[in-house]
Amino acid sequence: MLNKIWASLIILGISFAFVQDVHDEVYNTHNNGAHLQFNLIASDFSSQDITLLVNGYQLNATLKNNHKIQIHLDSRSPEYLQNIASANSQKNKLIADIISKNETSITLLLPEMHWQKIREVTQAAFDTAEFAVKLALGLIGIMALWLGLMQIIEKSGLINYLVKFVSPLLSWLFPNIPKDHPALASISMNMTANILGLGNAATPLGIKAMQELQKLNNNKDNASDEMCMFLALNTSSVQLLPPVTLIALMGSQVAELIVPIILATSCSTITAIIVAKIFAAQRRKKI
Amino acid sequence: MMQQLTTLIIPLLILLIISHGLIKRIAVYEEFIEGAKEGFNIAVNIIPYLVAMLFAIAIFRASGALDLILNALSPLANTIGFPVEVVSMGVIRPLTGSGSVGVLADLINSHGEDSIIVKMAAVMFGSTETTLYVLAIYFGAIKIRRTEYALQAGLAADLAGFIAAISITYWYFS
Repeated sequence: MLNKIWASLIILGISFAFVQDVHDEVYNTHNNGAHLQFNLIASDFSSQDITLLVNGYQLNATLKNNHKIQIHLDSRSPEYLQNIASANSQKNKLIADIISKNETSITLLLPEMHWQKIREVTQAAFDTAEFAVKLALGLIGIMALWLGLMQIIEKSGLINYLVKFVSPLLSWLFPNIPKDHPALASISMNMTANILGLGNAATPLGIKAMQELQKLNNNKDNASDEMCMFLALNTSSVQLLPPVTLIALMGSQVAELIVPIILATSCSTITAIIVAKIFAAQRRKKI
Repeated sequence: MMQQLTTLIIPLLILLIISHGLIKRIAVYEEFIEGAKEGFNIAVNIIPYLVAMLFAIAIFRASGALDLILNALSPLANTIGFPVEVVSMGVIRPLTGSGSVGVLADLINSHGEDSIIVKMAAVMFGSTETTLYVLAIYFGAIKIRRTEYALQAGLAADLAGFIAAISITYWYFS
């Protein structure tokens, strides 16, 4: 399932970008080869610098010679001009051919633009690969902090109290974990962090729980039933308090959403448990 | 009250852990280091999983295929009575966290915080998770490649959260 979804995201994405670009080529949506007329402000051809008026934006430009003009762009310039520039591997400038010019206007032939969507998709792929590494490395500090604390909990025996306390609650969800196993403690701590909306602590504790579950796993390449149940519980986002991002976006409005969120999240959590249980039962039958 | 509790719980927990360690005569500093060592390895283990997942999602989003799918879904959504804007939230939510924040911010901009559509999307945001990201991180950390039925169960939970968010919000505010 994951393989198929992963592959279809990539295949759909690239093919769709390709189809759009072919469509753009056939119908010439980018107006390649078109002669565009722009009005001039304070045209004074004795100086090299002139000002163009494009869709209400004033753009500075420099005449290179009688046939070439360099348009200067910044982040506020019209988007299609920026796209043309980036399509020709330029960032802040655009060199166009001058077809004709007079006192009040100038007619230009802009550089051509091809395969815009494919270019964007490729760029997105590279950028995200880099971003993924930053994201993972950004976890190091908070991971180290919680793993350090968990080590102390284990050595001091605090974990045993916790396990005793939660194992009756969790034994139905995770029947194959031995009653006194530390995995139960990590799972319960992760869930507590989730319930309280403490995302920063929830992720490291969840990973710690997964590590403990991996110790109990017979086949280290395949996810065990407990892991699938735990993941499903986590993605169903058990929580009492709204996540911090939501508070940031909605402000005080969040208060009236707390009850619906708790109700909806209960629905998704119950579904997660039922579906995971059904799959686990099916898997047992197969073996 | 709950907000104050969340502010206090982590410092209190740290205090409890360290002092209990001291009482039990544990070399707390040394043990902390021993555990924390793992942090780097785990983060590095996660990298390939995260690159694989995020890059596929990025290609899909940048291509505009998502908008096409949403356009295709909109007549269907209309017949069931689901607002199309909220459907886009439901499709993006399991894929990307930042993407779904963007969708919610857009909806707040265009419909206002008081609209039922924004409330539905916000409840959906609060009651579901970025399933693919969580899957990549959790299984990446322990190098599990065969995820078995974890994704199915996670997506089923998202779907349930999606339907529940729409119907419960509708019922609660009317």
